[in-house]
Amino acid sequence: MKPNTAFCFDLDGTVTRREVLPIIAAELGLAEEIGFLTQMTIKGQIPFEMSFRLRCRLLAEIDVATVAKIVEQVPVDPAIAAFLGEHREQCFLVTGNLDVWIARLAARLGCRVFSSTAVVRSDGRLGPLTSVLRKSTPIRELRGQYDRVVVIGEGQNDMPMFEEADIGVAYGGVHAPAREVIENSEYVVAKGETLCRLLLTL
Amino acid sequence: MQTVAHAVIAAAGLGSRLGLGRPKCLVEVAGKPILEYQFDLLAQVPDVRLVVGYMEHEVIDTAFQLRRDITIVRNPAFRTTTTQQSYWLGGLHIEEPCLYLDGDIIFERRTFQTFLSCAEANAPLIGITEAKTEQAVFVAAEPDPRTGFLAVTGFSRTDRSLWEWANIACLPAGLLKENGGDVFTRLSRHLPLRAQPVECFEVDTEADLELAKAYVTRLHGAGTQVAAA
Repeated sequence: MKPNTAFCFDLDGTVTRREVLPIIAAELGLAEEIGFLTQMTIKGQIPFEMSFRLRCRLLAEIDVATVAKIVEQVPVDPAIAAFLGEHREQCFLVTGNLDVWIARLAARLGCRVFSSTAVVRSDGRLGPLTSVLRKSTPIRELRGQYDRVVVIGEGQNDMPMFEEADIGVAYGGVHAPAREVIENSEYVVAKGETLCRLLLTL
Repeated sequence: MQTVAHAVIAAAGLGSRLGLGRPKCLVEVAGKPILEYQFDLLAQVPDVRLVVGYMEHEVIDTAFQLRRDITIVRNPAFRTTTTQQSYWLGGLHIEEPCLYLDGDIIFERRTFQTFLSCAEANAPLIGITEAKTEQAVFVAAEPDPRTGFLAVTGFSRTDRSLWEWANIACLPAGLLKENGGDVFTRLSRHLPLRAQPVECFEVDTEADLELAKAYVTRLHGAGTQVAAA
């Protein structure tokens, strides 16, 4: 593995073995509403950013710390988690999720994070969103610090990251990657162990 | 005995000479896609890389159903590149010897395993087989008393000989090149090459496919082990 390479991992459905937002929604009794918005987004009926803002509004009444605790419990792929821990200087999570929700999970994984951001109100509830991450931004930023950027992801919202990357790995460990992601990748793998073995050779 | 840890299967091509409208690795012989025979033979090889191009989504879906821990390598320029480009892409970043094979061949298990066991870390090993396909690349080979193996002294599309290139080789890292021509042309630069015969049937044309089917059926009938038997 070349030392001056950055590895950027999508979080939902790549590092985590399930999508984070539906888990939060189910825990809070909002599965149907969130699921509806997710489906509309997948079908391209509303843009990702609008969908994300609406989903955050639905979850805004919930205590942020409660959500962070739920997210911390989301199962992660053990091989990928080990890789992140062993190469933390080179690994980054790139996620559209909110910093305040994923902080505990990110701390557990031990690598740096690029995410959307929000303010927590004094009563512990979610305040306004301060930024929604476009996944191309961190790749461009890391390019200044590393010789190469390798990205790993599976969903439509990972496309901006794949378009900027030197090497793209479409990951199908949780569900089949979007066709467009495959068509913009160099490699496709379907298991966490295989992914890590590949990354070690790059 | 050298244990080969990496295998690259070239399965990006159009298969236009066969004309079945699907990639040759998915063509069924005795009820199973050729890819399944190959994965069975490579069960002990931990890192199997499948290079895809033509109808890639179909190949990827079938490949992951058959073996989940493989790595897919994409060759989007498959229409304009040779097999060497697929091999080069598949072996890129691997710094150990690697087994290269075409994804349209049925290999007989015993001679395949013997071939693997003859592979050495730093010397290329070339697979040859009894000449029989319609578009054979003939191989001139003679016994080399120094190594105890056959030595390849030349490849030719026109000079007929007993042997043809079997489209399987175990090669050290860095031997194949990007945007090179035919694999055998590249190998010609390293003559003489150590060779090991394998029994196999490559499926390039409809006549080849019939030969392969007859071969598998015959071996099943005789109780001999074919790749996936």
